[in-house]
Amino acid sequence: MRQDYFSANNIKFIDYKDVEILKKFLNPNGKIMSHKKTGVTSKNQRALASAIKHARFMGLLPFVVK
Amino acid sequence: MQISEQNKEKDGLIETVNESTSEKGSKVYELGYLLISSIKEEDLPVTYGNLKELVLSFGGEIISDEMPKLINLAYSMQKVTSNVRKKWATAYFGWTKFTMDSEKIVELKKHLDLDPNFIRFLILKTVKENTIAAKRFVRGETYKRPIMKKSTENETAVPINKEEIDKEIDALIAA
Repeated sequence: MRQDYFSANNIKFIDYKDVEILKKFLNPNGKIMSHKKTGVTSKNQRALASAIKHARFMGLLPFVVK
Repeated sequence: MQISEQNKEKDGLIETVNESTSEKGSKVYELGYLLISSIKEEDLPVTYGNLKELVLSFGGEIISDEMPKLINLAYSMQKVTSNVRKKWATAYFGWTKFTMDSEKIVELKKHLDLDPNFIRFLILKTVKENTIAAKRFVRGETYKRPIMKKSTENETAVPINKEEIDKEIDALIAA
């Protein structure tokens, strides 16, 4: 199993502006990758999902990639 | 004199009350926003300054912020202003982080809702610390060269034989 990315890099607060990090957790269609694939802890996965959704709202990330 | 003293006392009271409320009710917020791209580059600092003043006028204390930058939006957004629907593919994205009373933030939101310069904005609760993760640096481990060790070992290993050296020198002189 992969280790949690955020605790490995000492990231305590997942920011919606950090698009480069968030992009790592999107699949080619722009969907959020599953908990199984990311290997992120449940707590961080929830924070990650909301961060991605905030970034989408602000037009920093796409909702869908055609 | 008495009146002024009384006033001072009053002021002092108000201040302490304010402090206590600020400790109680104020939270750290972050306002991310998209400004319409029809604003000219020259006018950008003005709108940016106005926004900062607006936050300050609601009793906010700015912790950190970033100048709005022109970005390509991931998808086109629509906004209706004065009954005209407009599409935006680019916008100025900026953010400010500040502490504010939890009651005042609602007023700020109402105020921003009416502002025609904003395409969208997002108010989030956050933490005081810088949340943007610093870029990871590549491995800092230095590779030690084994050659250095070998050379030192060789030097120590060679024994100095005085007699042999003397003989060699003598031979050289004789030649």
